[in-house]
Amino acid sequence: MIGLLKYLKGYLRIKVWGLSPERFMNLCSNKGILLWDIVKDGDVYYMCIHLKGFRALRPIVRKTGTRAAILERYGLPFFVPELLKRKVFLAGLVLAVGFWIWSSLHVWGIDLTGNYQITRDMFDSFLKDRQITVGMRKSELDIQELEKDIRRQFRQVTWASAKLSGTRLQIDIREDDTTAGREETLENGAPEGEGQDVLGTDLVSQNSGTIVSMIVRSGVPVVSIGDTVEAGTVLVEGKVPIYNDDATLREYRFVNADADILLEHAVTFSDRLPGDYVKKEYTGREKGSHYLRIGDREWSLPVNRPFLVYDSLIRESRPSLFEKLSIPVFWGTATYREYRNVEYEYSPEEAESGLNEKLTAFLTTLEEKGVQIIEKNVKIEKDGGGWVLQGDFLVREPEGIGAATTIPESGDLETDEQ
Amino acid sequence: MRKNRDNSQRKEALADTLKLPKDICLGAIKVELTGNREAWIENYRGILEYTDSQILLQGKSCQVSFEGTGLSIDYYTNEDMKVSGCIACVRYL
Repeated sequence: MIGLLKYLKGYLRIKVWGLSPERFMNLCSNKGILLWDIVKDGDVYYMCIHLKGFRALRPIVRKTGTRAAILERYGLPFFVPELLKRKVFLAGLVLAVGFWIWSSLHVWGIDLTGNYQITRDMFDSFLKDRQITVGMRKSELDIQELEKDIRRQFRQVTWASAKLSGTRLQIDIREDDTTAGREETLENGAPEGEGQDVLGTDLVSQNSGTIVSMIVRSGVPVVSIGDTVEAGTVLVEGKVPIYNDDATLREYRFVNADADILLEHAVTFSDRLPGDYVKKEYTGREKGSHYLRIGDREWSLPVNRPFLVYDSLIRESRPSLFEKLSIPVFWGTATYREYRNVEYEYSPEEAESGLNEKLTAFLTTLEEKGVQIIEKNVKIEKDGGGWVLQGDFLVREPEGIGAATTIPESGDLETDEQ
Repeated sequence: MRKNRDNSQRKEALADTLKLPKDICLGAIKVELTGNREAWIENYRGILEYTDSQILLQGKSCQVSFEGTGLSIDYYTNEDMKVSGCIACVRYL
């Protein structure tokens, strides 16, 4: 700290010689001039003195019959004039600081997290419509309005948060997983708007099969365990009848039907592989090129068509200054790799493993939906020029999708006024 | 001379009785040594002699001489100073 203060005020290394250097030091201390690092070498004394103290030395030097000479200058008061002489360097420094300040006032990156149904492209075009782009001024950004707009535009977004972290706009959203089901309900012809909430929903079967388990939480079950149902059959009704004392129907109370129903039904899966396939075989010959990209503009070293058939591998990096300030400057390398298209025929083992992979992917999607597989019958056969997989499965699947309750005819419904 | 000695004895007795710090009341030089490498000195009037083997300081009532080798003054103000080097002897004159 003391060293920093000394540097800011500026100090000198001087040498003092003459009649009475000791008296010189005493007079300096009496006048409040600080001396330090005093060393004697022969008849000469070397010491450090503040710039202000040095300016007050003249009467002391005259009085004591000594002489003082400056050896070296240290500190900011000496550095700044030196710096001012280097005009180009100074201009560069000012420009760099100016650019830094200017660029820190803009948004240079937009991050989106938490999106599953909404793709990045959809979101980008939404942002573009609202003039929210990379390079816009931070002051033009209304974060609260943006959050509201996101919720207004994408109905499946239940929560949206946007924040500026340095020069990056970080948008975090949460999507409602059940929205997909509701949208299907709307497509099935359910009335939109407020009426839908009032009327309630039925649970309808999507597949044909036998009901093996049924636990109803709300609504009136229409089918029972052991029943065979067709696709589109109502399983649980969302209108609960309320009867008068004389067992006549008074009114319907509408609820959203809710039940855990397991339906046992058959599922078939088939897929085929062609007899032969084309595989890329790299020849090992490669060519590289470098490029620089600023925003949408790109400069690269000129490369003629490197090979007859090739693909390219691009490695791009982006500098991020001080983690928060990221500017849209990219550089990278493009590697062109030559290859040949070679035709192969599937061997029985390859065909089997390829088809099994597809089957496993299909079974995984079934398991993700909570489907239990009871029986499995899979065949792989050669058919014409290709290979065919045919699978028959007996599965138990959670059943029931929401659909708007059918409105009872006016004659069926008795109200209190009647 | 005798009157002077009586006077200083009386002052010392008074400082003792009132439990006052003697360096302030009597103007005695205060020397603080750290091993034989460093010395902090207060209450002096000035430097009489400064070489790399001896530093002679003037106090109010006496002189103090630091003898040794490679002696140097790290800083020197009106209040205090610091001497460093290899101090072999501190002598009161």
